[in-house]
Amino acid sequence: MDDVDKRLLDIIQTAFPLTPRPYLTLGEALGLTEAEALARVRRLKALKVIRRLGANFQSRALGFRSTLCAAKVPPAQLEDFIARVNALPGTTHNYLRQHDYNVWFTLIGPSWEDVCRTLDELSAATGLQILNLPAKKLFKIRVDFRMQEE
Amino acid sequence: MRHFTPAERTILRLAQDQLPDSLTPYADMARQAGVSEQEVISLLQSLVDEGVIRRFGASIKHQNAGWNHNVMVAWRIDDDAARDAAGTTMAEHPHVSHCYWRPAQADWPYTLFTMVHGRSPEELQRVVQELSETTGQRDFGLLHSIKELKKTSMVYFQE
Repeated sequence: MDDVDKRLLDIIQTAFPLTPRPYLTLGEALGLTEAEALARVRRLKALKVIRRLGANFQSRALGFRSTLCAAKVPPAQLEDFIARVNALPGTTHNYLRQHDYNVWFTLIGPSWEDVCRTLDELSAATGLQILNLPAKKLFKIRVDFRMQEE
Repeated sequence: MRHFTPAERTILRLAQDQLPDSLTPYADMARQAGVSEQEVISLLQSLVDEGVIRRFGASIKHQNAGWNHNVMVAWRIDDDAARDAAGTTMAEHPHVSHCYWRPAQADWPYTLFTMVHGRSPEELQRVVQELSETTGQRDFGLLHSIKELKKTSMVYFQE
């Protein structure tokens, strides 16, 4: 990644242009041609620096509800538990962490009842208690990271 | 809550995934939804303005962009006002991406959650220390990730 890539990422992480020719707009901001801007985005996708280019919805504004969950999963059950959690369409993040509570995942569903039912079913199927930690207050969510040095 | 027409739902189903890989992605989406390019752009812009779309742009795989260390830090702060003050302060730190107040549970007393990112283990350690010192909060647990098991975007709009 060169400096132009970093500047490009800083722009499109925050706001990809909503103009008929977005790569022309992007190119103008970076001193590139339209074709060069597209080529750079394609390259960053191929390198898997860009995971996705599109809309990120605020789940609550669409009526969905989310929560952070954790469980203490014994080693022998780990593979099965992870497979069950990952198979849920509402699981967007799942991490193995260094702690007694070793599996942490976020769950989104079309209603709070739906989220709780999904967790109850997971508990019943695995015999494991699951921490259900819905946010009471959001202080910050900012998923973009400055690529250029601060 | 806003309700969407079938054409709008088609646009949003496309927008929640990858934008078409062309010089004119909105015109491509418009063709699929049977609307004009301007309608696609207007819908997306209005949802950004209303905050229904939190962010319209690139999601980055931090690990491939140099930000390859992260730790979830869970802070035990029992007092509501103290938690509020600490949350507000921690949220201002540029290395903190997420900061939430979550309820305590029977065997889980930690109520303030921060995701801390860095470019080295030393940087992570330094940031956590800064958060602790600037807020005066000393009771925290570090939840280092051993493995990413799943990371995807939610599918809100189905075909």
